[in-house]
Amino acid sequence: MDAGQLHIWLAGVARKDAIAFRSLYDATSPKLFGFALRILVKCELAEEVLQESFVNIWNNAASYQASLAAPMTWMTTIVRNRAFDLLRRLDHDVEIDADNFDMDVVHALESGDLTPIQSLEMTQDAKALASCMSRLEGLHRQAMALAFFHNLSHSEVAEQMKLPMGTVKTWIRRGLDKLRTCLGKMEMV
Amino acid sequence: MNIQNKPNLQQKLAAEYVLGTLRGGARRRFEGWLNRDAQLQQVVRQWEGNLLPMAEFAKTAQPATSVWQSLEKRLGLNQSADRWAFWRNLREDLAFWRGLGMFSTAMALVMVSVLLSKQVDQSLPPTNSYVATLSNDKAEPIAVITGDIKHKQLIVHIVKAQNIAADKSLELWAVSKAGTVKSLGLVADNGNITLPMPDNMNSDNVPLLAVTLEPKGGSGNPEKPTGPIVFKGNWLLI
Repeated sequence: MDAGQLHIWLAGVARKDAIAFRSLYDATSPKLFGFALRILVKCELAEEVLQESFVNIWNNAASYQASLAAPMTWMTTIVRNRAFDLLRRLDHDVEIDADNFDMDVVHALESGDLTPIQSLEMTQDAKALASCMSRLEGLHRQAMALAFFHNLSHSEVAEQMKLPMGTVKTWIRRGLDKLRTCLGKMEMV
Repeated sequence: MNIQNKPNLQQKLAAEYVLGTLRGGARRRFEGWLNRDAQLQQVVRQWEGNLLPMAEFAKTAQPATSVWQSLEKRLGLNQSADRWAFWRNLREDLAFWRGLGMFSTAMALVMVSVLLSKQVDQSLPPTNSYVATLSNDKAEPIAVITGDIKHKQLIVHIVKAQNIAADKSLELWAVSKAGTVKSLGLVADNGNITLPMPDNMNSDNVPLLAVTLEPKGGSGNPEKPTGPIVFKGNWLLI
């Protein structure tokens, strides 16, 4: 996915260009919807969040600053915040399938099975992250992903993984440290 | 407590803030600092850039068309689309210009092949052929590949010479709709090269051609590249 093209469309949306908005929606909605669905599980909830997020994108594109965040990061932040807000409002627990956490991409990368199509669809940022995450231990990765996708605290992650909280805390802290070092190195290359 | 002069603590807290594991009072305190500290905001943005791409690991899914229809209605998009927007958008649509470039190249190739075939054999029936313009991630065209169905040949023409390390090779792949790949052979980093064209290599079966950077001699597995894609393009019938 081409960050340059997303920038151009976002600039169009900032000028209230409906066609640029449609192009941006077509290019990014399958990913953003997939992400919302991963968090909320229910289709109708994810669709509500997707719609609210794109209203937000339309209204705030003018304040998007390209130098501060990649377009996909900016839009993903909006979707994630909306999805977690909705979860809090509904105050209900989403079924979390901790055993079958589907980080297909990371697994694919680990085993070298990332298909060219997968590779083309992902942004450079996501590829770099997948590559660095594939170097972490599986359980450390799972702890981080549970927290990220389900807005879980240390103790909630520990409960899900049936592990002591201290262990989870240490894993997540070390995982984040290692990611920072790994991504920093990639940036330099 | 103040974290302004504690870069390690800043990193640790910002990371857990973005991941979501910073909770309760600690989170509220952090948000208080964040409001006043531009440098801390920068650290948080870095972590957002690091971690938010995790969202792309979720499987993509197509939302119902009703989502777009509601957006159109809520935002009054039909009225606000002024009549110049289309042209303005077109002007800025990289895909359009890339497509146009590809189309122009394709048309030039058609003309060349028409002229050549006229010279060689006046009675030759018009045959279909394929073309792909492979570009790098900066949208610079690197190679033009034409498929000669009659002679079952692929002609690879590198338009921009590549500097490949001595221990590396470039390998050309046919990418199917399902994402499976098949090696078509090694290509040179400059000049022209002719490769055999497999049967049924049409645009329906193979929508995409890609070149990857491989160890010297190729990936060694005709169904799996080991290196990154360096340039790619759609395989089009002309």
